[in-house]
Amino acid sequence: MKKKQNIGLDFIIDKLTNSIENTLTGEVFDTEIVRLTNADAKQIKKADWQFDWLKELKDNTKEVYKLTTVNNPTIIQGLVSIEDKQDHVFMHLIESAKFNKGKTKVYFGVPGNLVAYVCKVSVDKGYEGFLAFDAKSALIKHYKESLHATHFRGLRMFIEPSAAIRLISQYFKS
Amino acid sequence: MGLIKEPKNVDLSTKSEPWTEQELVDFRKIMQDIKAKNAKRKERSLRLRADKKQLA
Repeated sequence: MKKKQNIGLDFIIDKLTNSIENTLTGEVFDTEIVRLTNADAKQIKKADWQFDWLKELKDNTKEVYKLTTVNNPTIIQGLVSIEDKQDHVFMHLIESAKFNKGKTKVYFGVPGNLVAYVCKVSVDKGYEGFLAFDAKSALIKHYKESLHATHFRGLRMFIEPSAAIRLISQYFKS
Repeated sequence: MGLIKEPKNVDLSTKSEPWTEQELVDFRKIMQDIKAKNAKRKERSLRLRADKKQLA
């Protein structure tokens, strides 16, 4: 990773305090995000996921990260695949585990947690938090409200530095 | 601030299609504009802070 650049904000991230919340009990669990490599492919059961994460792992241009709780690092709560575009980060895929989808989802906060982390990666790479991605049309409004994302055109969206810092500060203690 | 709690019936999953060269050019222009605006804002706030110090 490139050395962190001064982006004009007095904001230093020194400790991970990510967490997700049990939808039934409200109990909050500390989480961690770890990069996966091709050697970790065994951790992903193809049938458990909508997207082809094994293909992502094989692609050297992409970085795949998994979100787990600190206490149970073998159960993957969500995955994200990103690409370093040299001046911004591009988010190819993001997906919550199947038990974190729909009306019966077990935990709140998985995708927000992963997006905040990707924003942090963008800051760490010296891209000031710029993150580009596509949204499903029905979710554009939701991404604007929840992630403070900006609608670019069509399904294209991005997160700009002020929104990235806002997201990071929600998930990472300074 | 707390977690972003997506509603139970909403799943924030994304599969992005590659952006075209033109889209990247346009996006990079927007990024430059935002960076320039942020730099100006920072400069202005530093100047105001310095002015305040001088007055004190």
